[in-house]
Amino acid sequence: MADREMMSSEIADVQTASTPSLLNLKEIAGDFVRGLWEEIPLFRLVLGMCPTLAVTTSATNGVGMGIATAFVLTSSNIMISILRKIIPDMIRIPAFIIVIASFVTITDLMMAAFTPELHHALGIFIPLIVVNCIVLARAEAFASKNTIIRSAADGLGMGIGFTLVLILLGSTREILGNGTWFDMPVLTGIMELFNYEYQPMIVMILPPGAFIGLGLFVALANKIEERRKGKK
Amino acid sequence: MVRLILVLTIFCLVAAAALAKVYDITKGPIAEQERIKTISGLKAVLPAFNNDIDKEATEVVVGQDRKGRDIKIKFYKGKLDESPVGTAFQVIARDGYSGDISILMGVGPDGKVSGIEIISHKETPGLGNKIQKEVWRNQFKGRSLDDGPKLAVKKDGGEIDQFSGATISPRSVVNAVKKGLEIYKKESGNGG
Amino acid sequence: MDNVIEILLILVSTIFVTNFVLARFLGICPFLGVSAKIETSIGMGMAVVFVITLAALCSWLIEMFVLVPFDLVYLRTIVFILVIATLVQFVEMVIRKTSPALYNALGIFLPLITTNCAVLGVALLVVQKEMDFFPMLFFAVGASVGFTVALLLMAGIREQTVHARIPKVLQGTPISLVTAGLMSLAFLGFAGLVKI
Repeated sequence: MADREMMSSEIADVQTASTPSLLNLKEIAGDFVRGLWEEIPLFRLVLGMCPTLAVTTSATNGVGMGIATAFVLTSSNIMISILRKIIPDMIRIPAFIIVIASFVTITDLMMAAFTPELHHALGIFIPLIVVNCIVLARAEAFASKNTIIRSAADGLGMGIGFTLVLILLGSTREILGNGTWFDMPVLTGIMELFNYEYQPMIVMILPPGAFIGLGLFVALANKIEERRKGKK
Repeated sequence: MVRLILVLTIFCLVAAAALAKVYDITKGPIAEQERIKTISGLKAVLPAFNNDIDKEATEVVVGQDRKGRDIKIKFYKGKLDESPVGTAFQVIARDGYSGDISILMGVGPDGKVSGIEIISHKETPGLGNKIQKEVWRNQFKGRSLDDGPKLAVKKDGGEIDQFSGATISPRSVVNAVKKGLEIYKKESGNGG
Repeated sequence: MDNVIEILLILVSTIFVTNFVLARFLGICPFLGVSAKIETSIGMGMAVVFVITLAALCSWLIEMFVLVPFDLVYLRTIVFILVIATLVQFVEMVIRKTSPALYNALGIFLPLITTNCAVLGVALLVVQKEMDFFPMLFFAVGASVGFTVALLLMAGIREQTVHARIPKVLQGTPISLVTAGLMSLAFLGFAGLVKI
C-alpha cells in the first residue's frame, strides 16, 4: 500500500543497513542513541501522545507505563525482525498487529499478576499500548527491514526515550499539581519548613495541565534542537 | 490469496496458544492479588479478625434497582477466635459529584461503624477527593443510627466536617453510610 | 420516557462532560493531525463515528457471545484490534469508491484510524463497564460525536489562527497542544453536569 510507504518515510530517516554487518557496533549504538534525543518519542517524534497525557499524573505511573511500553516495543521489534522474511508484504500490517497485541496481552497479564497497583493505576492504557503509534511505526519503519540486533537496539532506545519523557512530564505534573515526587512529599515538605501549607496547582493533574505541560516541553525541545543546529 | 489467509491464521493460532499459556501461568497470581486486596480492605475497616473471612462471606439481596434487577451485597463477617467482631460490606453512593462512590464499611455487633474505606470514586482531585483522607474517614468511627441527625455534614446540622467548596462529595458519603447502617440493621435483624 | 432520558444523559456525558479527546485523552494523534481544515475534519469525524460505533458493536457482541462464555477474556485485546483493523479496511474501500476526493484529502489518516486509541478505547470501555446493548450503542455514538466536536472546534480555531504571529518554538505541535489544553480547561466547566 502506497500510504504505508509514505508513513514510514515520513516518520524516520531509516538507516537501512548499507553494509549488512551482524555486529557493526557503531551502527547498533547509533540505533540505540537515536531514540534518546534525535528522534525521541513525543518531543521530536510526534507519536504516542494518548498514553503520555493520560498516565503522567504521577512520576511512578510514568515510569510504569514507560517500562511496559519499552518492553512491548523491544520484544515486538525483535520478533518482527525475526519474522521479517516470512511475513508476506500484503498482510504485514495485520501480522505486526498480531505480534504487538500478543506482547501487550502478556504485559497486561503479568502486570495484573505481579504489580496490581500499577496495573490498576494505568487501567485501559495498558491494552492501549497496542495502538501506541510508536510501536507500529517502529515495526513498519525499522524492524521489518533490519537485523534482529539493530531492531532490538532501536526498540530499546525508543522505549527508554519514551520512559524518560514520561518521567519528566509525570514528575513536573506531580510536583506542581500534588507537591509530591514519586509519592514523597517534596514541595509540600520544603514548604512546611517555611511553615507554609503548599496549595497544589491542581490544574496540572487535570487534563488541561497535561496538554499545556506537554506543549511547553515540546516547545522547549524545539528550542534546544534549534540551538544545537545553530552551533553546528 | 489463500496462502495469505493461511499465514495469518497460523499467526493467530500461534499467538493464541502462547497467550493461553501465559494466562494459565498468571491466573493463580491474579486471583491471589484480588484476594489480598479484598482482605487488606477488610482489615482497614474491621477490628482484628482471624477467620477465613472471604471464604465465609454471604451474599444477600437487599432490594431491587430501577430495572427490577436484584441488588446483591456481600457481607464479610469477621471473627476473632470464633466470636464475631464485625461485619463489612460495600455500599455505593450514586449521588457523588462526578459519579458513583464505592465505600467499604465495617459495622460492629453493637451497630456502630468500625471504619470506612473509599474503594473507588471520580471526585475532583484537590476538592472532593479529600474524602479519601484518613483523618476525615475516622470521623465515622463509632457512629451509628442512634446518632440521629448528628450523622450528617455540618452544613446539614450534623457533626461531620465538609470541605470548603466541596460539600457534595462528603454529603453523599454520609448518606451512603447511613443507608448502609440501615441495611445492616435490617439484615442483622434477620439473623445476619 | 425514562429510557429517552437515560440516552440523553449518556450522550451529554460522553460528548461534553468527559469528552473523549479533551478529558479522556483518546484520539489525540488524529486530533492534532487532521484538524488543519474544517472540511477534512468533517470527513474524518464522520468516518470515525461510523468506525467507532460499528467497532463497539462488534466487540461487544464478541465479548458477550464468545469471549466470556468460553473463558477467553484474555484474548480481548488481540481480537478487538483485529476486528477494528478489518473494519477500517472496509471503510477505506467504501470511501475510495464513493468519494475519491475525500479519500485523497484524508490520505494517511484513514488507515491510521486503526491506531486511533479512541476506537479501541471505546470498545474496551463498553465491555469493562458491562453495559447493556442500547446504552453501549449510544455511548459509542456519543464518544465518537464528542471526538468530532472536539476536532471541529480545533479545526475552527486553527483556521482562524493560520495567520497569527506565533513564536517559532511554539509553531506546530506545541501551540496545538496548548490550544487543546485551553479547550480542555473550558470543558472542565461541564464537570458534574451529568453523573455517569
